[in-house]
Amino acid sequence: MDSFVQLLQGFATAGTWENLLYCTIGVTIGMLVGVLPGLGPTTVTALLLPLTFGLDPIPAIIMLAGIYYGSMYGGTITTVLINTPGEAASVITALDGYPMAKQGRAGTALGVAAIGSFVGGTLSVVGLAFVAPPLARLALEFGPAEFFALIVLGLSLIVGLMGKSLIRGLIAALFGFILSLIGQDPITGSLRWTFGQPHLMGGLDFVTIAIGMFGLSEILIAFEQKTEAGAKIAAKIKGLLPRREEWRPTIMSILRGTGIGFLIGLIPGSNTVIPNILSYTVEKRLAKDPPRFGKGAIEGVAGPETANNAYCGSALIPLFTLGIPSSPTIAILFGAFIMHGLTPGPTLMQTDADLVWAIIASMFIGNLILLIMNLPLAGMWARIALIPPRYLYPVVLIICIIGAYTVSNSLWDVGVMLVFGIIGYLFRKLDIPLAPVVLTFILGNLMETSMMQALIGFQGNFLGFFQRPISGTLLAVSILIIALSVYSNIRNRRNLLGGDAEE
Amino acid sequence: MRKPLSVLLVLLVSVAMVLAACGQGNSGSGSGSSSPAASPSPSPSGSSAPSPSPSESPKIDYPTKAIELIVPFAAGGGTDAVGRATAEALKKELGVDVVVVNKTGGGGAVGMQDGLSAKPDGYTITVVTREVVSLPLLGQAPFQTMDFRFIGNVNRDPAVLVVPTDSPYQTAEALIEAIKNKPGSLKFAASVVPNYYGIQFAEAAGLDFITIPFNGAAPAIVELLGKRADFGIYNPGEVKAQVDGGNLKPLAVMAEERFPGFPDVPTFREIGYDIVSGTYRGLAVPKETPEEIVKILEDALAKAVEDPDLIAFMENSFLGRQYMDSETYTKFIEEDIKILTPIIEIAKQQM
Repeated sequence: MDSFVQLLQGFATAGTWENLLYCTIGVTIGMLVGVLPGLGPTTVTALLLPLTFGLDPIPAIIMLAGIYYGSMYGGTITTVLINTPGEAASVITALDGYPMAKQGRAGTALGVAAIGSFVGGTLSVVGLAFVAPPLARLALEFGPAEFFALIVLGLSLIVGLMGKSLIRGLIAALFGFILSLIGQDPITGSLRWTFGQPHLMGGLDFVTIAIGMFGLSEILIAFEQKTEAGAKIAAKIKGLLPRREEWRPTIMSILRGTGIGFLIGLIPGSNTVIPNILSYTVEKRLAKDPPRFGKGAIEGVAGPETANNAYCGSALIPLFTLGIPSSPTIAILFGAFIMHGLTPGPTLMQTDADLVWAIIASMFIGNLILLIMNLPLAGMWARIALIPPRYLYPVVLIICIIGAYTVSNSLWDVGVMLVFGIIGYLFRKLDIPLAPVVLTFILGNLMETSMMQALIGFQGNFLGFFQRPISGTLLAVSILIIALSVYSNIRNRRNLLGGDAEE
Repeated sequence: MRKPLSVLLVLLVSVAMVLAACGQGNSGSGSGSSSPAASPSPSPSGSSAPSPSPSESPKIDYPTKAIELIVPFAAGGGTDAVGRATAEALKKELGVDVVVVNKTGGGGAVGMQDGLSAKPDGYTITVVTREVVSLPLLGQAPFQTMDFRFIGNVNRDPAVLVVPTDSPYQTAEALIEAIKNKPGSLKFAASVVPNYYGIQFAEAAGLDFITIPFNGAAPAIVELLGKRADFGIYNPGEVKAQVDGGNLKPLAVMAEERFPGFPDVPTFREIGYDIVSGTYRGLAVPKETPEEIVKILEDALAKAVEDPDLIAFMENSFLGRQYMDSETYTKFIEEDIKILTPIIEIAKQQM
């Protein structure tokens, strides 16, 4: 219980008025950053990093960390209300969060997301505080082969997200894969599909595509409805809390989301989207009535929103214990440590234990502040769903454009966003689901890269994937899942394809 | 009902605007900054009032308005850090705002091209990196290296050869020996493709090893620590934490002189291999910029690199300082074209 005493000391440090102030500033900025699409926590922590130079290390890092996990709360808001993902991590939330808002349950979606985020965030900080060192060694075992196997597992689960028609789902999935090929070849560095356009050398941006496909296409669809009567808006806002019968599944999905987010956070090179995808697919697989998903299933919001916050806490474990930044935002936190003369890694816990514990304690406090801010705000935000479309959609359009612009401070991304808005519109008209496009877009690149890296390491031997314990197990599970899907497909064709991600 | 809703709407839009303005990347402007964090923190930038330089050339009135400094990489990276520190220091010398704008894309090509196509009036300066040489050679940039007029260099970091601390190869000689004995089997975890450090190492020492490319030093280092690769070549800032933590051991530095941060580590030249490589970051403007403006900027930069805040920031961030004036820097760049040309020919063959 030595760590428990240290944690209490950490609370004493984090509880001083100065540190509380910076913690509040950090989480508030984080939340606002999350709200605006395009502008992510990575950019903002980077911008504020030089400003913390004059501060002591503890308040500086408390504030920057607050931006990092605070943005996970904010990203949900735009996603649920206007179908425009505020943060890459929230894309999955759009699948069920926006339908909930259309049913007048925006408040519930935001309320559940806030509660789930708090539970996931807090439990993962508990994990960070008490079980970090042994788990860290596991992270080192996770190389490209294991990463590849994890993505295969994810994709095998995603079959359920394909929508009504498997063919349409595959079209969408392949479209996403092809998009992910644009840019530099991750292995040789040669250029693919760039047509001499320097903007394409780094590939397309995930957030830009998501803003266009989800946010803009929503506006285009709404244009078709001639009158306001056509565009159905919620008559009134229902409560912030789930219905009585929804409590049990919601709590279960929050707990599962916590576990998934926590485990994925340990893996270097992962990102906040992966735990969300896994959590969503797991929830859909486990649900008694999967067709409900995509039409406002509360578990489809609770699980993923919890998972990305649980991810945030555990993603700091490789940083504190090994000195490895496992995501771009954490790389900036890493820079903040270095800039303040601290070296993240195994020695940090010995040389600056008080600092580490103060940061951990501040994350408990920060999550609590976020919960307190978000629950009452959920009701306020939810009222946006009441705004008639003729006032709301111009604002959404502005937000989409600003969001796309901030991705790389250029009009190029605005153009890309507009193009994908039109593509998204056409896909909707053709009944092609949008979710597989963004999922395979983000997973495709990771899958290609990790497979090639692993194969180079295995000197071209494909069996190498099965000779390593973790990747072998994950691949075996994926094969089992695919086999079971095929089996149940043969037994009952309707069952496999029954689940729709979208209408 | 309507009223509070419209208020909310206005609020939402204004929040969006403010955040977008933040994204524009000013950040450093002290009191004028929109971020609430700026006011309580005595940031090094805001503390000193801009002092107009007295000895300005009378012929030309420059600068009279804010200068835009293009950083062709994302906020948060090493280039961004150098760019922001330099902007703060230049602001003091020039007496006008120097606003950092991150223009990302194309591995630096987009931002550099933007800098080149700006009006050559000295109000748009570009932070150039080694990519200003490598991208045109690779045929991946719409410009030529010498389209720029180089003002001066700020930062230079050598490449460092590292192994895990418990590696069987405890010296560079032992590692090279082992690679020679087992050609094509030892693994190099590269932080970027194409990897000029790796190619140069292989060519100069006549080695054959497997290169596993990663997107950045962090995942490459995980590969090393997880014992799936044998060695790596990175910049000092990327390995400092692991070296301090006793996980990685530096074996040799690709520099003319020993790296101050690792005084016990020999250079490659000391052990008999002529390998000098690394990364550098400096400032440049379009070639057509008037001579007087270049001179003003060159003088300002020469003073800016001696700014105590800049020095403290660079040292804390483990970024090496090496100032070169316009003439030296231009020669240095021309020299680097000669060094990189054969290396990039090899890289192209591997594509």
